[in-house]
Amino acid sequence: MEELKKIILEFAETSKKTKFYFKDLEKAVQAKMPDAKSREIKKAATELVNEGKLIYFSTGSTTMYGLKGRGITEDQ
Amino acid sequence: MAFAPKRPQKEINYEEVRIYTEEELHNYTEEELKNFKIKHDIPALEDLEKGPWPSFVADAKREALHRKKLAEGRTMVDKDVVDDLLGQLELSFNDGETHWKHGGIVGVFGYGGGVIGRYSDVPEKFPSVAHFHTLRVNQPASKFYKTGFLRALCDLWEYRGSGVFNMHGSTGDIILLGTTTEQLEPIFYDLTHELDQDLGGSGSNLRTPSCCIGKARCEFACIDTQDLCYELTMHYQDELHRPAFPYKFKIKVDGCPNGCVASIARSDFSLIGTWRDNIRIDQEAVKAYIAGEIKPNAGAHSGRDWGKFDIQKEVIDLCPTGCMAMEDGELKINNAECNRCMHCINVMPRALRPGTDTGVSILVGAKAPILEGAQLATLAVPFMKAEPPYDNIKELLEKIWEWWMEEGKNRERLGELIQRKGLPRFLEVIGVPAAPQMVKMPRTNPYIFWKEEDVPGGWKRDIKDYRMRHKR
Repeated sequence: MEELKKIILEFAETSKKTKFYFKDLEKAVQAKMPDAKSREIKKAATELVNEGKLIYFSTGSTTMYGLKGRGITEDQ
Repeated sequence: MAFAPKRPQKEINYEEVRIYTEEELHNYTEEELKNFKIKHDIPALEDLEKGPWPSFVADAKREALHRKKLAEGRTMVDKDVVDDLLGQLELSFNDGETHWKHGGIVGVFGYGGGVIGRYSDVPEKFPSVAHFHTLRVNQPASKFYKTGFLRALCDLWEYRGSGVFNMHGSTGDIILLGTTTEQLEPIFYDLTHELDQDLGGSGSNLRTPSCCIGKARCEFACIDTQDLCYELTMHYQDELHRPAFPYKFKIKVDGCPNGCVASIARSDFSLIGTWRDNIRIDQEAVKAYIAGEIKPNAGAHSGRDWGKFDIQKEVIDLCPTGCMAMEDGELKINNAECNRCMHCINVMPRALRPGTDTGVSILVGAKAPILEGAQLATLAVPFMKAEPPYDNIKELLEKIWEWWMEEGKNRERLGELIQRKGLPRFLEVIGVPAAPQMVKMPRTNPYIFWKEEDVPGGWKRDIKDYRMRHKR
């Protein structure tokens, strides 16, 4: 789990886009850990949200993830 | 079967949780309302009040006056928020475009849905709606409420929000329209701790499942829609609150093919109650309908004289599969041909009833017109039993999710994925054999590609031999 979280954070810090879909996150993790299951990746991402490291960004219809403090950081 | 909650249910006592006194709730007179003007000129909106129907503008003005007359400190959001809401809408009417921006990093801790950020793009003109976030509240199954709960919710939203509701959004949630970022966590706390109610789904989540009124009040219900809806809602809490889907996913449960929640048109996973035995017929009641002793359609459509009930014209000739006939004074139905249109049962509910071996038909892939246009659902499983704990339904649903999460593109609905990959691929995924009824015109549809293993005996094909006889 810790390894997964580390890979997710690395991706969130370095990805070109500051907000990304779960699928992008999944691909980034599976590029480094091909056996990682999406359910486990989701659990790791949820833990990172609960730890305040990742944030959700929602348009209402779609939800994206982002690194707290990177890109849009205010309410808007 | 009696309702068995998965966790203790809280009884809401309005007197214990109320925020406003009776005087505060009834703090203006109709005379005051007549003379009341909001702080912006809204002639275009006021025009909407002139029609024969009740107008949201009239309701909003009441709310604006009510808030204006509350004492300072009795609302946590600006008192003139409704004035600014109407003012901005008038501006949008005049400009012919919206002045709302939506989306952003707002939410409650740990939840990826349930809150949708809304911001005005003209906050200098309408400062009270500069932040005007929406919350979705998970409605109870079939939208049954006690008045105490509704009153408590109204008080909470008056105090911490705009006081403006939408009962209900098209997914089914109660929509609380307009609050500030600071109020989100307090609202969530009060909603869950005081009112024992959760937020609903939004974004790339499972959206709040919804169901028709079901066995609570409807004799046609073939399944306990409320129980199934509650079970799916509680079982899939993680999918509802923590987004990991490519896009939205809606589940709706209709108790019978009349489809009162229109699951066939509005949900990615549509469960429709049905039966696989025979329509029950009470021949004596059939005769009573023919003799005019029982009103057809349970007395509906009786606003004008339709003449004497004619079973041939009004029922038998309207059967879409022509599977009914009167023989020797008795109504006969060829049940194998019945396609569950419900017309005969609706017209003669005392004489005809759904069968007793009941379950669900499962249809997939409906959606409203965002990317590729509106699409009705496709029948995937003609019949499946639907009994607690519904493991068979969950197993199918999870197979579909797994495939969609693997193969679906970002912002691609299940119905679009099935279109892109083809129905045969989808049927392989869910392990259901193809049936001719799944193809609208089986003999003319050219898009059927047989695999060698599908055809008894297979085939041999030598492309070189073929090319010798057929030049490119």
